[in-house]
Amino acid sequence: MGAPTSSFDLVARVKGGDRDAFSGLFDKYRRRLAVLIYYKLGQDLRVSIEIDDIIQETMLRAWRDIGQFHYRAAGSFMSWLASIATHVIIDAVRHDGRDRRRATAVVPLSQAPEAADTRTPSRLLSQKEGAAALIERLNALPDDYRQAILLAKIEGLSTPELAERMGRSREAAALLLHRAIKRFRTLRDDV
Amino acid sequence: MTGEAGERERLLAVALADFLDRRARGEAIDPESFCRLHADLAAELEPQLHALAEIDALADGHAAAPAMPERLSGYRVLCEIGSGGMGRVFLALDERLNRRVAIKTLGPRYADNAALRTRFMQEARAMARLAHPNIARIYSLGPDGEPPHFVMEHVEGASLTDAAHALTFQQRAALMQKVALAVEVLHQHGVIHRDLKPANVLVGADLEPKLLDFGLSLDVADREERLTRPGEVMGTPDYFSPEQASGGELDARSDIFSLGAMLYELLTGEPPFRSAGIDEQIRTICEADPVLPRRIDPEVPGDLQNICIKALEKAPVERYSSAREMAADLERFLAGEAVLASPRSYSRMVAGRAGQHLRELEGWRRDRILSDSEYDALRKAYDRLAEREDAWIMEVRRLTLPQVSLYLGAWVLVAGAALIVLFRYRELSGTPAVLAVGAAAVPALWVGVRCWNSGRHRIGIAYLLAFCLLLPITLLAVMGEYGVFSGFTQGKEKLELFSMLPLFKPTTNAQLWWALFVSLPAYYWLRRFTRAPVFSLALAAAGAMLALVTLIRLGMLEWIESDPGRPYFYLIPCALLFMGSGAVLERLRYPADSRYFYPIAVAFTMMALTGLAIFHEPYPKWLNATAPWTRGQLEYLFIVNAGIYFALQVVCERFSSPQMRAVAKAFRFLIPGHVMTSLLLLGLAATERWGESPADAGMRFEARMLEVLLPAVACCFVFGSVPKQMKNFFASGLLFLAIGVVRLQQNLLKDSALWPLGLIAIGTLLMLAAARYAPLRLAFARWRRTI
Repeated sequence: MGAPTSSFDLVARVKGGDRDAFSGLFDKYRRRLAVLIYYKLGQDLRVSIEIDDIIQETMLRAWRDIGQFHYRAAGSFMSWLASIATHVIIDAVRHDGRDRRRATAVVPLSQAPEAADTRTPSRLLSQKEGAAALIERLNALPDDYRQAILLAKIEGLSTPELAERMGRSREAAALLLHRAIKRFRTLRDDV
Repeated sequence: MTGEAGERERLLAVALADFLDRRARGEAIDPESFCRLHADLAAELEPQLHALAEIDALADGHAAAPAMPERLSGYRVLCEIGSGGMGRVFLALDERLNRRVAIKTLGPRYADNAALRTRFMQEARAMARLAHPNIARIYSLGPDGEPPHFVMEHVEGASLTDAAHALTFQQRAALMQKVALAVEVLHQHGVIHRDLKPANVLVGADLEPKLLDFGLSLDVADREERLTRPGEVMGTPDYFSPEQASGGELDARSDIFSLGAMLYELLTGEPPFRSAGIDEQIRTICEADPVLPRRIDPEVPGDLQNICIKALEKAPVERYSSAREMAADLERFLAGEAVLASPRSYSRMVAGRAGQHLRELEGWRRDRILSDSEYDALRKAYDRLAEREDAWIMEVRRLTLPQVSLYLGAWVLVAGAALIVLFRYRELSGTPAVLAVGAAAVPALWVGVRCWNSGRHRIGIAYLLAFCLLLPITLLAVMGEYGVFSGFTQGKEKLELFSMLPLFKPTTNAQLWWALFVSLPAYYWLRRFTRAPVFSLALAAAGAMLALVTLIRLGMLEWIESDPGRPYFYLIPCALLFMGSGAVLERLRYPADSRYFYPIAVAFTMMALTGLAIFHEPYPKWLNATAPWTRGQLEYLFIVNAGIYFALQVVCERFSSPQMRAVAKAFRFLIPGHVMTSLLLLGLAATERWGESPADAGMRFEARMLEVLLPAVACCFVFGSVPKQMKNFFASGLLFLAIGVVRLQQNLLKDSALWPLGLIAIGTLLMLAAARYAPLRLAFARWRRTI
């Protein structure tokens, strides 16, 4: 992650009502957030829910609730965002169910837009370099490896937190992460 | 996951975890120095740490700023001077002319979109045609092979707000006036800026503002997308108009709002709306009234505040209709003239506050801090403050030139139509006359309804009121020209109102009656359609006229000769009708409507009682029979009437409604005049009669008694002013006391020096006693107890 103090500064400025700082913060985190949301949604929801929508909503709520956030460490802002994103997704799933019911009531299924349309990947993930490449490589990993990398590197958890989240000892979690990174490196040559 | 971890692998994993945790704690540790700490593991650790960095780089992919192009349109790019959601702005050097230019580029994210790209270039092309000293010039468009961009004048200066700090209010107004005129130029070329903000106006050392960044902001992405993408709009919604913030239709008046927001910031140093989150911000812009600039800085000239608040009205129709108008008002301020702006939101603000105050007053009344009459008076004053959006001209707080002209126009229009109905014109009779009147009435209704529906209530109400007056006129024209209801009342021409007015074109009573009668439902419909109580005034007035015309149709004109008191007798049911209508309306919670019915009821009652006393023969006969000593004199009848008013006010007082209290007060108001004037006249008459037959003891007694009675009754009224707080009791009591004193001096106490001396003594005693009222009262109470 980038220089930790700069996040701290930005958060402090956002709390002081500085919108530009929030733009900065947004720019800084939106790709990470996109990757995270991509995996949080999973295959099924990705069809019906736009990643960009979730990012937007997450950022809006973050902006709204920034007062409740307390900066503890470099990764804490990202994990805070991640927890907001989880709530947003839950809400979206609830809404989505409702909307779909409404939609089917109005539009006959044959005229409804192709589901494949909505699969269009997020604009953030569309560029070949960066996040999209990252996702491509993460997809090639076994689930627990990918999970370890997401939690430690994208969400920015410390290893004790990682261990707790994955239900392993710290040693086991560290080992898992080490192996995951090792495998991740090998993928670069394959792609 | 399979395989046992070797010792070395475990060590590597721990080192990696250690590195990550140090990073997570915020330690600035780089892979190289960390590897030096773990020299034995370095060979395997280093590629792992690089992989971590690689993941970060991928995840933060964009973080590294895209490279700055070396040249654009042949100009050498020097540095980046700005960036926004849309793209970046570079400072570049025109090497041939050796001048600096600004180059605005469309961000790569948008550049991929062919439609947007075309739009960007089209807008730039449109803007390039504009030449105005206060608008930054566009020099050229980027050629096809290069990323989309255009080259524009590089303006050196401070942003509007930065520049304003050191300026006087006059200078700030002058700046804004120039900006408004520049925006007007944009509007005339069909461009809406949509992103006016102080940062987009640079002020040079010569105090000339220059408008940048025009017309390109919003078309790039549709509104909603822009709004919901927080990263992009964050910097700007301070100056968004409500319709912009809520994604409504935009027109030039949206820019007026932004101009208002800029003026506000120039005056106060802060934007008018600012809140914590974007949702909140949007809500604030759409709903909240800005804090008045003069509250923030009392030095702000009131006229500038008016201009600013008018531009910041929520409804576009309430704002200036063009930037030119706003500039003209600023110019008026600069020239020391009165500005035209009278912001509608003032009355909204006042109304909100007045509501609060009224609730407080209500509380004070309950706590007996305020008397009922004080409360009623204050309430009336507050009601005047809480001006309604749809108030007609007699109820607005402030007259404005356009409004006065509008009503004058309506009045002249109605007068013209009335002339056609009232008088004969050789060129204008029959169908043309009807068409001429209809041509006045129908458009008045149509325009009125349209204005009303589009929210221009002030204008709508004027047109609809004009229609109100034109409707019966039109009906009269139709009936008159086509001979409908042309029969005389009871077949006698002398019963026709117009038989008494030979100057006018004959219109029958029946026609008058029907014209008024048919108008009533129309007025009722207008009242329902607009919910404006003024149409209840029209309804009440038409109803009153209808009542009078009904009396005429019953043969009133004949009675005037044969039985002049009878019409007044028939006024009593009319008065009751209006009193009842008022009470019912008030009961149904339409107090704004009922207040028009009560005055008519009071007027009818007064006319009826007065008329009966003067003209109705059975009335004096009855009095003479009941009390022969009155000889049925008119003045005694007036005193009886005063008694009736007293009874009426007692009855009205029993109702809790403030309007009934006002009616009671009106009746009460009439009493002292009736009583004391009558006593005075009776006294004069009695004195005269006694003078004719000085030997008559009865005459003498009557004259003397009335002489004494007048000042005595006057004193009663003076003291009677206290219970109901009737100041007119007090004032008229004093007046008639003075008259009584003079009459006593002329007749009873002629040449008696004791009389004036006695008055002086009584006056002095009274004053002394009143000044020591409380102790005297205590002493009096004690004295009574001992007895």
